Amino acid sequence: MSATRFRVLPRNTQPHAASINWNQRFDKLFTIALFTIPGFSIFLTFLLIPITLTARYSLYEWKGFGDLTSENYAGLGNYQRLYEHDVFHQAVEHTFIIMGLSLLIQLPLALGLALLVGRGELPGRRFFRTLLFIPYVFSEVITALIWQYVYHPRNGLANYTFEKIIPGFESIPWLGEREYVLYAIFAVLTWKFFGFHMLLYMAGLQSIPKDLEEAARIDGAGEWNVLRFVTLPLMGSTIRLTVFLSILGSFQQFVIVNVMTNGGPFYASEVMGTYLYKFGIQRFNLGYGSAIAVVLFFTTLIFSILYQRFVMRAEQEIAR
Amino acid sequence: MASVTYRHVYKRFSPEITVINDLNIEIADGEFLVFVGPSGCGKSTSLRMLAGLEEITEGEILIGDRVVNNVAPKDRDIAMVFQSYALYPHMTVYDNMAFGLKLRRTPKQIIDERVRESAKSLDIAHLLDRRPRQLSGGQRQRVALGRAIVREPAVFLLDEPLSNLDAKLRVEARAFISRLHQRLGTTFIYVTHDQTEALTMGTRIAVLSAGYLQQIDSPSKLYSYPDNLFVAGFIGSPAMNFFNAKVVESEGKLIIDTTSFRIPAPPDREHLLRAYVGKDVILGVRPEDIHHPNYQPADIQSATIEAIVDVIELMGNEKIVYLSFDDSSQSSFLARMDPRSDVHLGGKTGAVINLGNVHLFDAATEVVIREDPAPSEDAKRAALAYKSGKPH
Repeated sequence: MSATRFRVLPRNTQPHAASINWNQRFDKLFTIALFTIPGFSIFLTFLLIPITLTARYSLYEWKGFGDLTSENYAGLGNYQRLYEHDVFHQAVEHTFIIMGLSLLIQLPLALGLALLVGRGELPGRRFFRTLLFIPYVFSEVITALIWQYVYHPRNGLANYTFEKIIPGFESIPWLGEREYVLYAIFAVLTWKFFGFHMLLYMAGLQSIPKDLEEAARIDGAGEWNVLRFVTLPLMGSTIRLTVFLSILGSFQQFVIVNVMTNGGPFYASEVMGTYLYKFGIQRFNLGYGSAIAVVLFFTTLIFSILYQRFVMRAEQEIAR
Repeated sequence: MASVTYRHVYKRFSPEITVINDLNIEIADGEFLVFVGPSGCGKSTSLRMLAGLEEITEGEILIGDRVVNNVAPKDRDIAMVFQSYALYPHMTVYDNMAFGLKLRRTPKQIIDERVRESAKSLDIAHLLDRRPRQLSGGQRQRVALGRAIVREPAVFLLDEPLSNLDAKLRVEARAFISRLHQRLGTTFIYVTHDQTEALTMGTRIAVLSAGYLQQIDSPSKLYSYPDNLFVAGFIGSPAMNFFNAKVVESEGKLIIDTTSFRIPAPPDREHLLRAYVGKDVILGVRPEDIHHPNYQPADIQSATIEAIVDVIELMGNEKIVYLSFDDSSQSSFLARMDPRSDVHLGGKTGAVINLGNVHLFDAATEVVIREDPAPSEDAKRAALAYKSGKPH
């Protein structure tokens, strides 16, 4: 190799250093702009502008038509009304009940099934895997309609089954009884969404090298201890992700509740989504609805940021 | 500490696929047994059956006097080092090593003593607070060994523990593991595809191929007295040279005739070769038993042939010379000659074959033609199964 290939030009041989620098900088900016503008314009049109408008509407008593005037300006009035409305309190409470039940029942169920059918030697596990995932493929409206039949007070599948199993069982109007309705809906949500979490868990399981579990077995761990000390810790990132998605899903739940009960009876199954739809849109209180939307938006946004920052990040430090 | 016995062990993944065929081995307490063979020969499966990670289709495996077929891995009192090391990524080195003891509810103080002591002996004491991903390959390998040692198991199983190390580290680790075995005096069972590792570390070596035990012997015997063609070709590097030949009788003397050259039959096997007159045999000569005429050892029975020099590799302490013949009926062969040997590319050279060390195999059965030591039944059966074209 010749020595000249490594020769460095002295600085003072570049008389137009400044202008070259400018050109380069412009090129760079142009490139950045070229790649950013399409994405950013979509972000702007469908996210930033609507959010800003919603935030603005939330300050007015606005029916959805006509201009926003100083006469119907309400300040934080909508927010105060929301804060004082006991139905909203119920909706929040129900949202958190569904969230808690999802974390305590739906996710462990999905994990258990993933361990069962995601690997191992269970005969027919491929078949079960497909079967268990099917509910997730249905649209939410169809799911809700199917389950309305299941919960039918006179000839629904639920009552029919319980009558066959438990002698003397009296039919329950599952969706018409304040005590049962929320849990009946939670059962539907579980049926619908556990397959999705199961799929994530199966992917997580597959990323664990078989060697590690074998090593633990030889080290003296029984199946339970292998699960506890090796499999679950290594599933950590997947579990944190499903918890995140599950919590967000609970905040956003709307379709199934709306179709099955419309939040009833007497607001017994009202969640934040249905509350917004009922009190904001159906009653043409778009200003009020916007305030609900803003609360919902900031709740999920703050939760997401905190979760990403403190929970998902902690995991990166532990990761391999 | 314990002995290990394989008794008529079979492993089938399906009725048609048999990966282990009637394996019979007795491993004495404190032995260093190496399973060696090409990939897919069943050596890892044999080890995994002993570890309890793979079910035994037929037969029995004993650790000590206890049949362990239905004993869970955790109750077999074994420790295993994996090729990938299989260190728990979410635990520190200390916790990796202590894990087995914690599960056995060993008192904390004893765990601490043992972990620190083992770590010291493995020179990883300063790494105890790190996680596996912060370690180099060699360090991980030692942690994996440490995790096995602290448990003080009856049997150590090592599944290709050195294959992820670079060449230099591998040589060091080889000596390290040998010393460890001497110090602990526990039974070691070691799986490798590398015949050098097998020869340097094992007190006995079991050569496996196509699911059959080919031969089990001490390293020196395995090298000097291979029982069949597979073992002869597999053990030794560079590998043994093979020549297709016929036994012919000429003026009352037996000659091994390869068409490219003729050498007299080795006198110690002449009486056995009488039965092979007119039949095909395979002549095997190790590269170090072919010398340059000017640098041949004294007092050997030898025969000199002439060959063409194809390639010369000077290794420093020796010259590896690739030789061939004018006619193409035999493939080229290797000789490890004295570095001073006067050979020239493309030129002819004399090659002196040490007759006492040549190996002769029955071309039909691929079993060695030899009386002392006579080839084992394992070797005969394995060679036959191999020949009959149903290795599985």
